[in-house]
Amino acid sequence: MKFQIDKSDFLEGLQQVQHVVSTRTTLPILSNVLIEAEGDYLKLSTTDLDVGISGRVKANIEKEGATTLPARRLFSIIKELPSTDISIEIDSDDVATVRSGPSFFKILGLNKEEFPPLASFEEAREFGIDQKLLKDALKKTAYAISTDETRYVLNGINCLLKEGSLTLVATDGRRLAMVEQDLEFPSDDETGVIIPTKAVNELQRLLQDEGEVRVRLSSSQVGFELNESVLVSKLIEGNYPNFRQVIPGDANHRVTIEREVLLNATKRVALLASEKSNSVKLTFENDTLKISANSPEIGEAEETLHIKYDGPTITIAFNPEFLMAPLRALDQDEVFIDLIDDMSPGVIKIDEPFLYVIMPMRVTG
Amino acid sequence: MDCFYAAIELRERPELVGQPVAVGGSTGRGVLTTCNYEARKFGCHSAMPVFKALRKCPNLVLLPVRSDLYREESHRIRGIFHSFTDLVEPLSLDEAYLDVSHLDSETATIAAEVRDRIREETKLTASAGIAPNKFLAKIASDWEKPDGQFEVLESEIDDFVYSLPVEKIWGVGKRTAEKIHAIGAKTCGDLQKLTLVELDRRFGKFGHELYRLSRGIDERHVNPNRERKSVSNERTYRENIESIEEGSEKLRPLIDELLDDVGGKHSNRQIREGVVKLKFEDFSITSAQRPMDKIEPHVFEELIQEAWVRGEGKSVRLIGAGVRFVSEQKKEATGPQLEMFDV
Repeated sequence: MKFQIDKSDFLEGLQQVQHVVSTRTTLPILSNVLIEAEGDYLKLSTTDLDVGISGRVKANIEKEGATTLPARRLFSIIKELPSTDISIEIDSDDVATVRSGPSFFKILGLNKEEFPPLASFEEAREFGIDQKLLKDALKKTAYAISTDETRYVLNGINCLLKEGSLTLVATDGRRLAMVEQDLEFPSDDETGVIIPTKAVNELQRLLQDEGEVRVRLSSSQVGFELNESVLVSKLIEGNYPNFRQVIPGDANHRVTIEREVLLNATKRVALLASEKSNSVKLTFENDTLKISANSPEIGEAEETLHIKYDGPTITIAFNPEFLMAPLRALDQDEVFIDLIDDMSPGVIKIDEPFLYVIMPMRVTG
Repeated sequence: MDCFYAAIELRERPELVGQPVAVGGSTGRGVLTTCNYEARKFGCHSAMPVFKALRKCPNLVLLPVRSDLYREESHRIRGIFHSFTDLVEPLSLDEAYLDVSHLDSETATIAAEVRDRIREETKLTASAGIAPNKFLAKIASDWEKPDGQFEVLESEIDDFVYSLPVEKIWGVGKRTAEKIHAIGAKTCGDLQKLTLVELDRRFGKFGHELYRLSRGIDERHVNPNRERKSVSNERTYRENIESIEEGSEKLRPLIDELLDDVGGKHSNRQIREGVVKLKFEDFSITSAQRPMDKIEPHVFEELIQEAWVRGEGKSVRLIGAGVRFVSEQKKEATGPQLEMFDV
């Protein structure tokens, strides 16, 4: 196998697939990128057995073939090469010779036969989604995914598909983000799948502002085909908790507030949130919102915002990170905060089909 | 404790002293829970199927398990431990870690005193391992068994671990041992020759543990509040179960027992997931689990189906059903944050 390729093309292709390569692996082949030279393209694939990704880049193929090379290592070598023209030749023992200007590298690869093939889809349902729409929905929800490995059903985004709509939900049990979008889905029955975090992250990287992503869904895996790439992932098995029941019904009080103002004030006050409780207190009273925090050994912080509010005094405490995360992910100027009382979950909404439920913290002292 | 259950039985029936005695499943299909040294001379050991033990030692006296009696005895022995130190971490009914580093006396002297007290009060013998950490103490406790003790001093750690077979490392079972042997390492000394990176590459996170333990490094504290992580019931059947229908039927009483256990002693604990375990005719074991917050018989039903097909037609000799709990310690760590789901 032999080919010439432009440095930036090659880098871009490797960049797209290298995140999947796991740093800690018991199987050396999983550290490698599968390189297949065919026609006018180089196809690059990586997998950690749970998630697999492949993309292609243009190259001048002199002799077709395939091999696998250590992905991260290859990326860092290509990145440092002095010239834009790169020539690579692989011998029958999977030893790659990389030449670029005055540089010469020999890299030991592994036989392509050892590389686990990406899952193929039989009996899958297929449909299309607008890339921008999906990208936007993931951005609004993905930050709420749980990182607690003992609650593995929460280690992903729950996607509910039914005729006419797509619902994405992420939660860690303390806050929950949900987006509902119109979607043409070719089936009457509702389907729910949980897409693991790693696949969500990769997908977010691949999604662009234009075009469509083709989604293939089987009972145990999901595939995304977009631009020049394919992403395949196992689904998380298990039952997602009944999240509808934790979404509060009608709120007693609604406050409209400028998103950035709230975000920045919270950011400042949170600097004095104690390490132990890690909470900021929000007091809604007489057209003001007072945000405060204190650390017994450090000091305290308080910021007062003017809002429209004539309801009873509500004092509610939140983990500041949980409050700020959606404010960062949204881009609307205004958000609504719906409240019931001191101990009931608060809800952040916008003018679009999005909602964020945030569980309060017990106020101590 | 030395052959704890068997030793208690022999104390109760002195006429059996000198004979090979085992405690365990009486059906011939179960396994030995424990056996005395006379029986061990014939090659019997705990967890050995009864039929195998009887083949090795036809004169084996097999006694039924009397859990209540052993529990009572265990309670008495724990009382003795606590008269020396509050830092007692029980591992099982007959094994515990004691942290006595805060006491003035020589550690070996304390161990001898503890063992004397046990002998006086229970007429049973105990063995002790004395070492700077849990890992080494546990191994050392086997060194002079029965009725003995062995101390590994800080300065002796290197020599002690050097020739230690890798199987002695906590967490290294048959499979991992095979993997370690395959790379030419038989002892901790051999393992020490591998770099952390290499161990990581081959064994993932566990490689880091191997790196430390093979050097006799173990930083785990003696934790007197170790919480129960799970409860389960399992049963080995007189005859192998051929069909999933029959298996489901056998599962039901196990779930009832589980409901009793969880509703009784463990009613303050939150359930995290349910597990069904199967042991097939060829002694291979599989388990299927799913998150749940209360015992739902129909989910166990699905789990046994899921596990059953993995046998690919093999019959089943043992069925187990259990639940794993949400860690109380972890829950406490989250403090005042309210949760959405009662997990």
